[in-house]
Amino acid sequence: MNTPAVSLRGLTKVFAGATVVDDLDLDVSSGEFFSLLGPSGCGKTTTLRIIAGFSDPTSGSVLVGGEDVTSTPPHKRDVNTVFQSYALFEHLDVRRNVGFGLRRKGIDRADIDRRVAEMLELVELGARGKDRPSELSGGQRQRVALARALINRPKVLLLDEPLAALDLKLRHAMQAELKSIQREVGITFLFVTHDQDEALSMSDRVAIMNGGVIEQCGTPEDVYENPTSVFAAEFIGTSNLMTGAYAAGAVTVAADLKLPIPGHTGSTDGDQICVAIRPEKIWMSDFTPAMVQTPGTIVSTSYHGSTTQYLVSVGTGVTISVLEQNLPRMRADNRWEPGDRVDIGWLPEHAVVLT
Amino acid sequence: MAVDVPTRAPEDTGERPRRRQRSSQRTWLWGSLLALPTAWMVTFFVSSMVIVVLLSFGNTTRDGFPVFGTTTENFSALWDEVYLRLFLRSLVYALATVALSVLIAYPVAYAIALHGGRYKNALIAAIVVPFFASYLIRMYAWKALLSDDGLVNSGLRNTGLGDGIELLNTPWAVIGGLVYGFVVFMILPIYASLERMDLSLIEAGKDLYHSPFRTFLTVTLPATRPGLYGGMLLVFLPALGDFVSAQLLGGSSTFMIGNLIQQQFAEGQNWPLGSAMTVAMMVALTVLMVAYLRATSSRAREQ
Amino acid sequence: MARARRLERKPAVAVAVTVVFFAWLYLPILTVALFSFNDQKSLSAFSGFSLRWYDDFFHNDALLESLAASLGIALVSAVGALVLGTMLALGLERVRSRRGRVIGAITLLPLVTPEIVTGVAALLVFTGVGLKLSLGTVILAEITFSIAYVTVIVRGRLANIPLEVEEAARDLGCTPLQSLRLVTLPALVPALLASGLLVFALVFDDFVLAFFTTGVDPQPLPVRIYSSIRFGVSPAINAVGTLMLALSALLIVAALLLPRLFNRKSSSLDLITGGERR
Repeated sequence: MNTPAVSLRGLTKVFAGATVVDDLDLDVSSGEFFSLLGPSGCGKTTTLRIIAGFSDPTSGSVLVGGEDVTSTPPHKRDVNTVFQSYALFEHLDVRRNVGFGLRRKGIDRADIDRRVAEMLELVELGARGKDRPSELSGGQRQRVALARALINRPKVLLLDEPLAALDLKLRHAMQAELKSIQREVGITFLFVTHDQDEALSMSDRVAIMNGGVIEQCGTPEDVYENPTSVFAAEFIGTSNLMTGAYAAGAVTVAADLKLPIPGHTGSTDGDQICVAIRPEKIWMSDFTPAMVQTPGTIVSTSYHGSTTQYLVSVGTGVTISVLEQNLPRMRADNRWEPGDRVDIGWLPEHAVVLT
Repeated sequence: MAVDVPTRAPEDTGERPRRRQRSSQRTWLWGSLLALPTAWMVTFFVSSMVIVVLLSFGNTTRDGFPVFGTTTENFSALWDEVYLRLFLRSLVYALATVALSVLIAYPVAYAIALHGGRYKNALIAAIVVPFFASYLIRMYAWKALLSDDGLVNSGLRNTGLGDGIELLNTPWAVIGGLVYGFVVFMILPIYASLERMDLSLIEAGKDLYHSPFRTFLTVTLPATRPGLYGGMLLVFLPALGDFVSAQLLGGSSTFMIGNLIQQQFAEGQNWPLGSAMTVAMMVALTVLMVAYLRATSSRAREQ
Repeated sequence: MARARRLERKPAVAVAVTVVFFAWLYLPILTVALFSFNDQKSLSAFSGFSLRWYDDFFHNDALLESLAASLGIALVSAVGALVLGTMLALGLERVRSRRGRVIGAITLLPLVTPEIVTGVAALLVFTGVGLKLSLGTVILAEITFSIAYVTVIVRGRLANIPLEVEEAARDLGCTPLQSLRLVTLPALVPALLASGLLVFALVFDDFVLAFFTTGVDPQPLPVRIYSSIRFGVSPAINAVGTLMLALSALLIVAALLLPRLFNRKSSSLDLITGGERR
């Protein structure tokens, strides 16, 4: 049985009367790239800081590699952090920044030099060893922060929104790099972010946090395709949410709109349920027999280059967002204009019922 | 970052060790760093102020030694026309110093901030350096310059403009000395305020009001108010208590509180009286400060 | 942003006032310097170049003794103020509590108290305790009233060192004390040097406080100069004065420029005038 790299048991943090982290239970497997995803204020950074040791929990415990470290000071925990602001030591050059943790451990000087050189190669900063942090670009500083933390081979590497300060292109490049470095080094990464794209593209598993609790935890596909709560459905990607009373296999969304939800079990007549369907899962043509279909009217269209978004009115006060890729075959044929009457449809498995 | 206060878990299941060694562990270090300097400040500064107050209730023994006591005769001695007039004079001089400082500081700070360009830092340094270099020497220099056989009067005589004017021993000499000594404390805060200001406001003001003076009143002045208030404080306080200027550049008719206090300790040997004067001055200062702060903050609230 | 600075018309009045101000500011200083090289005693006519007054000064035992005393006082005071002021700055900046704020306010009081009050107070404390006035008492008093300068300057710099840097040090294996020694203090070096030099210059020149707390012999230079001045204007004083001015000026300029050595962008002036320029 593999000991999880990090375990949180009943972790709670109350600060100034507010419960910032609420009875969290979590296991992060060894070697995993795990993301804590959530909006600002959801408690993800606080959780990270508690794991790092910069903050004491009000109750609960933190285990790293099976060992209870709740009352261990940060410098004794086998955990390293990459800070959002990088927190580089400006008075030291890159090499001495990276080797800082090793020097504290009293490792032999020659060894340190060798490992620092290796690490700098890994993050592609081999030539900048003697430079000062102030001479580096944002992306380079980020890599120094990563190297400095990684070189200590911690049981867990904590990353606190490390890519937030980078511009878009650089961020995408760094995401790919981080992922490949993690694969190569095999260390458990615990990554905190508010950017769902980042979380989905890099992680083995994602935990969605909101208001101090974990709403859902699973693989990116899991979390995206099968949200278990309204928050999860809305926070990740966009969803069309339709609420109404359940009756005989259909949900009454509006007076003139009863949507069948075949294959759904577990609700009794009269229950208030919410059905979530992702815009890209909705078709406007080429329907298959298994699809649930309903007519509607185009309210507006909006062109986004590779996709077009349509707002379709399907019932009183019910507007559905549909996302279509602008494939060549669709160009001349199926361009809808506001006012057009259309049919929309989706596969039953893409309509997720939320409680 | 707030101090983390460890709290006990509601139910101790007995599974985890209860040792609450704080992992944040920051406060012991920083708190203990505060201990020594605070002890020092309390010992030397706070206690010194306390002793001044205590001695002001004391008196002098027959042999001339100051002792503590519980008399208020020092204070009642101060409530005398001579002393009160002296205090008023000091107040007037200090206020005049502030006013003149403002009149000088604004143009200078303005010129440097807005037109100094590359030389801004050098200009400010050129102002700051003399001010931190020997107040005494510079006052002496003025004394030399303004004295009867000094440069100014000899120059006047040589050019036949007169037989020399009595420049020293006048209130203006003393005030001039005070301004000379403290105007930098008005220039720096105003300069700092100007630097932080959004200069396009001035441009806008010039467009709107056409008169530079009105622009100044309605745009620049309000925007630099914090600097102005800070400067007024930093000039008024030392000016009020100064004695060097009055001593070197003035005479008995321009005596300030500072001179009087100094006399009690240096020549007069009446320490309790001197303490009482000091206390009285500090009390008056505090009252003025409080009134001033009230006035400026209520004005700020009205904004 | 430099373009926005150059407004259309140079304000003639402001520039004129500034020019006159600089002239007024430097006039006495230049006069003192000039006449220190005068070969006659006169202070109104310059008759010839001579170094006799400097010669006098360097053969005047009493003055030289005072010079040494002042230098010593300034050095010890600077070190003392640096140590205490830095400890205070570190404690105040990282401990956010009411007690901290009160202590912070108290430490700033010396800056706004008229020097005569502080002089009297220091005198009373020393005599009250039975301490004989001497260079030591001057040093104790000067340290007490210089701490505030160090605290303000160091705190200013400290505020720009994010807590995360210290946390990173601890994350990488430093005890709190090690993090202070290896990360925080090195980052503070520019501020430490600048405030140290500033305090040295201020204490070297200080008159009022020294006047009240000095013993009879040796006396700090400013106090001895004061006594000479009181009893007539002596030309030898010009020489001393010029030397003092020169030394202080050098120190202040160094204090202002030193941070620039570490970081091309900042200087003590930024600390004094409050930082970011647009």
